This record gives sequence, C-alpha cells and structure tokens, in this order.
Amino acid sequence: MTRRTMWAAVLAAALGASGVVAAQGGKTVTVQTLTGKVQKTPSFLAPTVAKVVRGDQLSSLEQQKDWLRVTTKDGQSGWISKASVVDKAVALSTKPGGGAGGVSEDEVALAGRGFSPEVEAKYRSTHPDLDFSHIDKIEKLDVDGGELAKFVADGKIGGGK
Amino acid sequence: MRRLAFVALAATLSCATVDRIRSGNITASDIQTATKVVKGIQSLNEEIRPEQEYYVGRSVATNILAKHDYKYLDKAAIERGDLSGVTRYVNDVGNVVAAAAMETHRDGDRPAPIAGWHFVVVESDLINAFAAPGGFIFITTAAVKTARSEDELACVLAHEVAHVVRGHALGNIQKSRLAGVSSDVLQAAGREALSPEQVNQLNGLLEGIIQDTLDALFVKGYSRDTEFEADRLGVEIAARAGYDPQAMTRFLQTLAKEQDTGKGGFFATHPAATDRLAKLANEMPKYAAVTVPKVRVSRFKTAIETVR
Repeated sequence: MTRRTMWAAVLAAALGASGVVAAQGGKTVTVQTLTGKVQKTPSFLAPTVAKVVRGDQLSSLEQQKDWLRVTTKDGQSGWISKASVVDKAVALSTKPGGGAGGVSEDEVALAGRGFSPEVEAKYRSTHPDLDFSHIDKIEKLDVDGGELAKFVADGKIGGGK
Repeated sequence: MRRLAFVALAATLSCATVDRIRSGNITASDIQTATKVVKGIQSLNEEIRPEQEYYVGRSVATNILAKHDYKYLDKAAIERGDLSGVTRYVNDVGNVVAAAAMETHRDGDRPAPIAGWHFVVVESDLINAFAAPGGFIFITTAAVKTARSEDELACVLAHEVAHVVRGHALGNIQKSRLAGVSSDVLQAAGREALSPEQVNQLNGLLEGIIQDTLDALFVKGYSRDTEFEADRLGVEIAARAGYDPQAMTRFLQTLAKEQDTGKGGFFATHPAATDRLAKLANEMPKYAAVTVPKVRVSRFKTAIETVR
C-alpha cells in the first residue's frame, strides 16, 4: 500500500465508510441529484467509476451503511451515496420541476409541483438586473473523488490521528 | 376533519371535477387527479424538498453574487468550466469537510444538495462567509486571508456546511408564506402545464422566500442558537474529516481581535466572537489535539498568497 492510498484508507475509515454489509436484494433506485458519481469504494474520496444524471435508474445489490453498491444500465458497478438516490424506481425529469408539462406523477409525489424552470424564468424576468449565468457555470463545477483522495493524502489530513 | 380535508381538496380541483364528485359521477381521471393532489399536499406540507431548495439556492446565490458585483476569484476559469487557483483549493477543502458531513446522517439533517457542493471566493474587505440553501457556499477574500491555516479555513467552511446540512436558512422562511401558498401550488399539481397566474403565484412565493433568506444572511442574522449549533457541528465535522478542531477556536480568537476594526461582516450578523468561544469551550475538551503537518502549512501559504 502506498503512503497515499494508506492515508486515503485511514480517512475513509475515519469517515465511517467501513461497516457491516447488508444484503439489499436487487432493488432499483433512481438518481435524484442533477449529476452523481458511482465510486470505486463506498467513500466520497474514491475515484469515479461512472457518472450518472438525475433520473437514471440503477440496480442496487447491497448496502453498506449509507452507501449502495449499484450497477448502471451500461453494466458499470460501484458505490453511490444513499443521499443521492430515491429508494425506488421513479420517473424524474432531468431538470427539477421539468419544463412546461414535463413533470411526471412520480415527480409530483416526490417533490410537489413547486418551483421549476418556468417559475425561475418568471423571477428572472422580474429581476433583469440579476445575472444567472454565473450560477449556471458554478453549479457545473465538479471535484472528482480521486482528486479529493490525493488532496487528503498530500496534506496528510487525518494523519495526526 | 374529513370534511375539512375534502373542502381543501375540492379547492384545488377544477370546477368540472368537483361537479362530478358532487353528483357522484366520478371518473377514473378525477380519481387520478385527486390522488396526485393529495400526494402533493403530503409532500409539500412535510418539508421543502431538495428540488425546491435547489431553486431557492440558485436565486439566493445569484443575489449574493450581485451584492458583490459578481466579483469572485478565478472567474475566467469558472467561465471555461474549470476549477483553478484559490477556488480549486477552497473547493478541495470544502468538499473534504462536506464529504465528512454527509457520511453520517443525523436526525433532522437535510438530504444531499441535488447540485452538489460549490464554494466561491467573493471579493470583499469584510470578513464573512455565507451559505445559500442547496449547497452554494461563499467566503470573502478577507475571510480567506484572516484564516491562518488550512485547518482554520476548513473550520470556517465546516461552519457553513453545517448551516446547509441542518437547513438553517430554510428556518428563516416565514411559515405564513408556505401556509398561504400551498393551495396555489397544488392547483398546478395535477395539470399538464402551469398557467401564467400559477407561475405568478409561485413566483410570489419564491420572491418571499428569497427575501427572508437574504434578510437573515445580510441584515438580521440567524438566531444565536443556530450559530452556536453551526459552530459545534462545524467543529465536529472538521474533526471527523481529519482537520484540527482547535483551529475553529484559533479563527474565532483572531475574529475577536478584529472585532473593533470594522472589517468584520461576521459581526453584524453573528454573535460576538467571545460568546462563541465561551460556548465552544464546553465542547473542545472531547477532541484530541491534532499535530498539523508542515506540508499542509506550506500548501496553504502557497494557495492563498495570490489573494489580495
């Protein structure tokens, strides 16, 4: 084990990623975050195996604390945080709230039919001074789990424990 | 109670549907529509879902950027879709503490922000940091410069992450806003598209929620108990991530010294640093001392040396 992977393992353990494996039994879950990562091990610091988007359905094989081992429709396997998925198969539009008429009953049941792109468009039209192009760019920025693991290892974060 | 529920439900359905219900000639479509509306009532009354929080967060974040004249660091890289410079460093630190926060779910914690965690360094001489709902976190250049180590920066960011995880910003929304609009929202629940009037009503709700949140962030501040909880949980998160929890104390000690300089945006909306230190003093004995390695000290200096 290299020094880097050792510290990553130490932090993963400190974060509580290790735990008792419990069978989940072939369940389907749905990604609810705009983008999500299927990671190599059950840790936010693990490298990304596959990227998924809101509405993608994944088959879940087992659970380890707050992580699910899943397989994507392309057959790639890895771990995803339970907080990133809805615990069943539901139809979700790629953008929360969908477009006009683009919301499924599942989505209404899950999230209500509250704010949506068209409501935001109305807010923007009444505040022409606000420039949403900045937040559009910012929300697409992404830090890979592998980069975080390297950052943790390089900085010896948790190394004092 | 049943009758009250029926009246509330009827108010959200079309006149034709209600007429059919009254006459007893209910169609399958009516039942389907009513089912959707009931489900909508349940979900909206239970909580503000991450999907709702996302839109509130985007608008609050844009207002925060506007208040800083859209001046933030590494803007050119962000426009290209890249993280670089100080912003990359702050996002690395922020995402490490956010990961630690998300690894354990406490009762009452918000679900994961659906757009992930994002950290932006805004240009300002006021020492401050802001957490918009939905995981959009802002720290001023003055606050970055006030932090004397990566561990202090991590503690400041962990305090803001704690605000998001505990849904503190949403707690500032006047309850009457939600109570007053539920039926309006629900009128749209079973339909194919929102009418202009429904969009207007929802926009009114969005306006109100954004105003309540901005008032809390810039004028009134959160309650003292909320700030103390963010300090306590921030220390816990930083420690779990592997940072030195005592760094929160050191940052607050610096803040206390800055209190009289007028540079502290924190001071207008947060309890006095000395009060926060006194509260934290009860928490700190349970954390072991952490020796900060030199490599972390040097990379912090390198990362922030360009911050003016």
